[in-house]
Amino acid sequence: MRATVHSRFLARLGAVVLGAALLSACATAPNPADGEAVAEFNALNDPLEPTNRVIYEINDGIDVVILRPLALVYRAVLPDPARQGVRNVLDNLASPVVLANDMMQGKPKRAGDTFMRLVINSTIGVAGLFDVATGLGYPRHSSDFGMTLAVWGAGEGPYLMLPLLGPSNPRDAVGRGADIAMDPFTWIGKGSTVDALGYARTGTNAVDTRSRYIDDLDRLKAQALDPYATVRSLYKQNRQATIKEVIADDRGTAAAARRAAPSR
Amino acid sequence: MTTRRVFLSAGAALFAGAMPAAPARAADPDSAAAFVDSMLRELLAVANGGQPVTAKREALARIVEARVDLDAVARFCLGRFWRMATPKQQADYSALFRRVLIRNISEKVGEYEGVTYSLGRAVARGEDIAVSTVVTRPGNAPNKVDWVVEADGAPKVIDVIAEGTSLRLTQRSDYASYLSRNGNDVQALIDALRRQAAAG
Repeated sequence: MRATVHSRFLARLGAVVLGAALLSACATAPNPADGEAVAEFNALNDPLEPTNRVIYEINDGIDVVILRPLALVYRAVLPDPARQGVRNVLDNLASPVVLANDMMQGKPKRAGDTFMRLVINSTIGVAGLFDVATGLGYPRHSSDFGMTLAVWGAGEGPYLMLPLLGPSNPRDAVGRGADIAMDPFTWIGKGSTVDALGYARTGTNAVDTRSRYIDDLDRLKAQALDPYATVRSLYKQNRQATIKEVIADDRGTAAAARRAAPSR
Repeated sequence: MTTRRVFLSAGAALFAGAMPAAPARAADPDSAAAFVDSMLRELLAVANGGQPVTAKREALARIVEARVDLDAVARFCLGRFWRMATPKQQADYSALFRRVLIRNISEKVGEYEGVTYSLGRAVARGEDIAVSTVVTRPGNAPNKVDWVVEADGAPKVIDVIAEGTSLRLTQRSDYASYLSRNGNDVQALIDALRRQAAAG
């Protein structure tokens, strides 16, 4: 049964590795005499663009045929509070990994917030169904090992479009694998029930996440002249801004902040 | 999922453009914040008002016209190709850009219903002033949206940065990619924008 646990890990990791294996074709560099075009090419940092575009098209096809319709049904069938509950449970299940990354990033306030969220929402919040912690002053944030690597000084590397997983880069792809490896739910338990729960979690996460972007993505695809380039730009900008914010976060723990604050 | 964060931005970016015509003076952070505040009030008053949808769209378009430096945004989004374009192409492009942007913003008036915001800090960002807000759509997590206001002359919005993604940078990247795949021909972009404008 050790083998089933390993296979679960490998299955989740598989898509990431597949992504790396598919990279072959290279983008054509612009005429070196055109300085601005060269600067633009380097800033995009997408040397594998032809391959990335093929994977983007495949992902988009899968999305149109499977994921988006599922998300539409999901949104239509489940009322708002139910979907919020699902989201809360998924976020709570993810918080051990978020906590580990907060700690590895050396961010005591963020780690403290995540720890309190995990404790409060798992208990008072009925196994994560209700997000009580946000109201108590412990707001949610995301964290992953790609961010941790960035905090440690790793560069993002060239842009990558991963099969099924979407926009990424070598740093974030490695981070994704590490996050799966450090997720206790990857390793805890055994047997087909546990495996089924693991797949259910992954599937629900995909459908729930997609259901929150139905309108935005429909609009993006309708309005962008080149949706691939627009997604690439949004991903890079958002990732860089998130990482910049984490690096700049030098708050101590909540307790330290209370001690430091003048009494009201 | 990473895509979740990325597309939050796309969501908030819908707010892309409204800015009011406030008193003409070099803007300091306080007046830039007041400018953004009054613009958002105006915008939400229209979104939450009782007019029919078409009237709302027209009102929203007027707000965008008044509050956004549409010509400056258009020029920025064309990047280095602006100088390559003929005067006629520049004029055609600017006119189409205005039409498409205003339409994209105003046709989503329904989505702004029930939206709330809180005004944050205003800080200098290069030559401009960035006014930060937290915008909440009902049933969604709050989004951080920064409004970049020109500091010289009458305040006007020149960029909206939603969850770290700049609307005009994203748009420029879209156009640049389209141009590079169409022989760097500005006319090809103008034709594509004309098709977009006609499609709506």
